[in-house]
Amino acid sequence: MNEHEKGKALKEQQPSFEQRSGLRELFELFSLTGFVYGPLDERLNIKEALEKNLKKAVPHHVNWLFCFGGLSLFLFTVQAVTGIMLLMYYRPTIAEAYKSVVYVTNNVPFGWLVRGLHHWAANLMIVMVFLHMARVFFYGAYKPPRDFNWVTGVILLMLTLGFGFTGYLLPWNQISYWATTVGTEAPGAVPVVGGLLTTLIRGGAEVSQTTLTRFFAVHVVILPLVISFFLMGHFFMIRKQGISGPL
Amino acid sequence: MSEVLGEKANKTEEGEPFFPNHMLDQTMMVFVMLAILVTLVMFFPAPMEPPADPFVTPEHIKPEWYFLSAYQALKVAEHFSFLGAWAPKVLGILVQAGGLFLLVLLPFLDKNPERHPRKRPFMIAMGILALIALAALTIWGKLS
Ligand code: HEM
Ligand code: HEM
Repeated sequence: MNEHEKGKALKEQQPSFEQRSGLRELFELFSLTGFVYGPLDERLNIKEALEKNLKKAVPHHVNWLFCFGGLSLFLFTVQAVTGIMLLMYYRPTIAEAYKSVVYVTNNVPFGWLVRGLHHWAANLMIVMVFLHMARVFFYGAYKPPRDFNWVTGVILLMLTLGFGFTGYLLPWNQISYWATTVGTEAPGAVPVVGGLLTTLIRGGAEVSQTTLTRFFAVHVVILPLVISFFLMGHFFMIRKQGISGPL
Repeated sequence: MSEVLGEKANKTEEGEPFFPNHMLDQTMMVFVMLAILVTLVMFFPAPMEPPADPFVTPEHIKPEWYFLSAYQALKVAEHFSFLGAWAPKVLGILVQAGGLFLLVLLPFLDKNPERHPRKRPFMIAMGILALIALAALTIWGKLS
């Protein structure tokens, strides 16, 4: 036995530093990994499922153009996080909405950053969703069996634009008020039911408190729920069918 | 990427494993995105317009850039008023609704099974035309 092997054998006999100090136990206790890898894994095979999913092969033809979908999802996450942070201060009334947005921007520590992130990530998310759609189109990735995923995608595009439309009114400033007035006039041109549509969206004849309440509810509750549902469908289909093959 | 990590052995015929190779690529893209986002926030803070006043109509009301093309299309439709008073608005909205309908139904209308752009010149031409129309309407809407 040479020196090196002797040392190795000695090491194996003695408990490692981690074991001696109980560091590992502590880490597992706080991170719950011991639980997940121990008793839970015995029952649910978590390790196997994780490995199977994480080691899944990504084909070689996948290039950087395939990242726009993931970036759209990332930006949506930024929106959800910053949006919920803005909710801590935002007040959806015509008397206070504007003041609360000014307050967030000027007085809340890092409020300007959170609002700025929500503002710019909204714009970037729309750019990314468009680029993603263009990628899918030019790669012919919308053809069967991915035809239904394209339909889900168009719904996601509409929902994203809906976020932008309803969010724009929330700061209750001149631009948001008048852009919404003009924007809600457009459905009025639909034959027969047009007038009804405009009234329904505005909750009255003009853009008012009812409109703000309505847009607020749609922006922070309804759309997030609906988009989560369609995102899950989108991702489930991608997982099930795999990414489209090489051209 | 895999070379950097010394993970070459992990490569299979089918491709690279999602984790960590592809995950790392994707994470790098996320950081590039984050850098763009933070740069924009730093140098162009979210605008603070004057508060809403229902009694004062501002001179130039324009929607956000991603609605400009739709807005401009409605304005272009006004040139069809010679067909009657109903025409401008109804045409403007119906053409756009029709466009959306075509977009949803694209996979069912395009029966060509080929995927390579060279082998489906018609659809690619339509796509490029649609992109040019969108861009033109957006720029026109911005300038007018
Ligand atoms: C919030 C918006 C969206 C998110 C977060 C999203 C996310 C994703 C992700 C992560 C992928 C995996 C491949 C890739 O990234 O390219 C994907 C694939 C796909 N997406 Fe989306 N997407 C969105 C909107 C859309 C839109 C607007 C369309 C089309 C109108 C669409 C159609 C598709 C199709 C057909 C695939 C399968 C592509 C393939 O297998 O090559 N998605 N999506
Ligand atoms: C769970 C998700 C979300 C929540 C809880 C949320 C919440 C909010 C709140 C409270 C405001 C008012 C504060 C302000 O005007 O600065 C706001 C504004 C806004 N939101 Fe969201 N939001 C969410 C997602 C989104 C998404 C996905 C988009 C766009 C694609 C979006 C686009 C906007 C826009 C454009 C504004 C106006 C911002 C400005 O002042 O310039 N939001 N949101």
